[in-house]
Amino acid sequence: MFEKLVEIICNYVEVEPEKITPESRFMEDLGFTSFDFMSMLGEVEDTFDVEVDEAEAVKIITVGEAVDYIQKLAQAQ
Amino acid sequence: MKSTIREILVDAQERFGPEVGVRYKAGKNQVEDKTYTQLREDSERFSNALAALGQQGSHIAVIGPTSYRWFVTYLGIVNCGSVAVPLDASLPAADVWELLDRADVTLLVADAARRDVAEGALEHCPQLKSVVLMQQEEDGEGLLSFDKLLAAHPGPCDVMPQPDQLCTIMFTSGTTGKSKGVMLTHRNLAENAESIQMNLPDRLVLLSVLPIHHAYCLCLDLIKGISLGAVICINDSLLRVVKNIQLFKPEMILMVPLMIETIAKKLEENTILPPKLVKNTLFGKQLTKISSGGAYLDSSYIELFAKYGITILQGYGMTECSPVISTTRPWKPNNRAVGQLIDNCEAKTVDGELWVRGSSVMQGYYKMPEETAATLEDGWLKTGDLGYVDEEGFVYLTGRKKNLIITKNGENVSPEELENKLSPNRLVQEVLVRENKSVIEAEIFPDYEYARKKHIKDVRAALQEIIDEYNLQAPPHKKIYSLVVRETEFEKTPSKKIKRF
Repeated sequence: MFEKLVEIICNYVEVEPEKITPESRFMEDLGFTSFDFMSMLGEVEDTFDVEVDEAEAVKIITVGEAVDYIQKLAQAQ
Repeated sequence: MKSTIREILVDAQERFGPEVGVRYKAGKNQVEDKTYTQLREDSERFSNALAALGQQGSHIAVIGPTSYRWFVTYLGIVNCGSVAVPLDASLPAADVWELLDRADVTLLVADAARRDVAEGALEHCPQLKSVVLMQQEEDGEGLLSFDKLLAAHPGPCDVMPQPDQLCTIMFTSGTTGKSKGVMLTHRNLAENAESIQMNLPDRLVLLSVLPIHHAYCLCLDLIKGISLGAVICINDSLLRVVKNIQLFKPEMILMVPLMIETIAKKLEENTILPPKLVKNTLFGKQLTKISSGGAYLDSSYIELFAKYGITILQGYGMTECSPVISTTRPWKPNNRAVGQLIDNCEAKTVDGELWVRGSSVMQGYYKMPEETAATLEDGWLKTGDLGYVDEEGFVYLTGRKKNLIITKNGENVSPEELENKLSPNRLVQEVLVRENKSVIEAEIFPDYEYARKKHIKDVRAALQEIIDEYNLQAPPHKKIYSLVVRETEFEKTPSKKIKRF
């Protein structure tokens, strides 16, 4: 899950994959804009076949939190 | 020229009655249509319902994401001579209640997405008489059902609003940290939409992706859209813009620079296929125009998108001017300018600042005579932007006079408002908020003495926690994504204020 997400992340920001850790913060460390982040979640929906709740998603700060959230969604299905 | 929103809607309905006016998703990959006749009839039903509730002529707020019901509500309010107060759906509930109070709102119409706002409103806003919930099936628990109201009040509405009647109050960030209610009349908004010349054909298909409570989206997607008899498609989530472009196949989209930059990355991902093929695969052949506004877009993006067969039409405006001041005319591009003045607008430069005048300039700020006097002078609106207009009407911007951050998603953010949110923390002795590389940055001089007393070892981490906590409740455009920790106090002006520049 983490590796796959890193792959998606790299479609939006210019960061070397090996520098992305679960502690990396989307906005502050990886340079995401709010719309990059939204679009990435749209891709996450397709890739992992889940439905992201926008209100929940805006609380996500780090890559690790995103992985946890996606896992939770995938398990709920 | 039509001078009321009602005239625009009636004209569109007479010309395109049975044709699709609004198209939106109703479930996964399922699309629902409403015709212009339905839009007119439903909005007139809502007007009738307002009269029955004794609310005709009152101030009525609407909050929620873009939806058919939102359109019906807005048109129903303004077309019976009432005043609409569209509110930002991302604001915390307490902020919304404060605005309801300040705008003297007596009826609130809320989308279920903001049930929290609806439920506490009557308790927090003494002037408020009723609350309507858009998705409520039955009346109950202090909430009226939107659909029931429509069903109970059929028939045409014969009230004719006057052009110079107040029709909308829109809140915009003020430099002092307190948002201001911009008062716009029917003429202000209707003539703004009518004066925009972009060579757009009737029955244009457009996709509405921006927040509808903003003047830019309301005026162009809704009012201009209706005046063209357009098919106004509604994007249900920012997560799914690309997917929804594929679904609705729009010919034009209104965007802010932030979106254009992300989409540019999407287009540039593929380096093997020819540009036009990439664009057609991603967005379809029909998408040929993007209108950019809300903030300045670097001209390199205009050139980049041209390569993909998409014309970006950059414009400029502000809520106080309903909002459009200038737009790019497709037949006369000029990448150095932010478009040409629209027909109902004239401009001059005073001490470097751009002033504009015309039928779209606001009436003033609601119940703020001092702020109004500081912004309007003999009918001229002081834009707060430094710039000039050439003899052909092209508008050039050179800087900003007022202390306001304009983010790339077109939101105006007052640094002082954010500073006031952070400074009550004991650990924050002094704070300065500004924009840095397109993100909002807070520079903080911590109270090191306090940190020592409280045995806070990692001051930076503690400050970041304060910001994370603030971000959690802040609307997306007010979130702080960069922190600078100072070792020394800020330099001060003689009046002991932090020097901003």
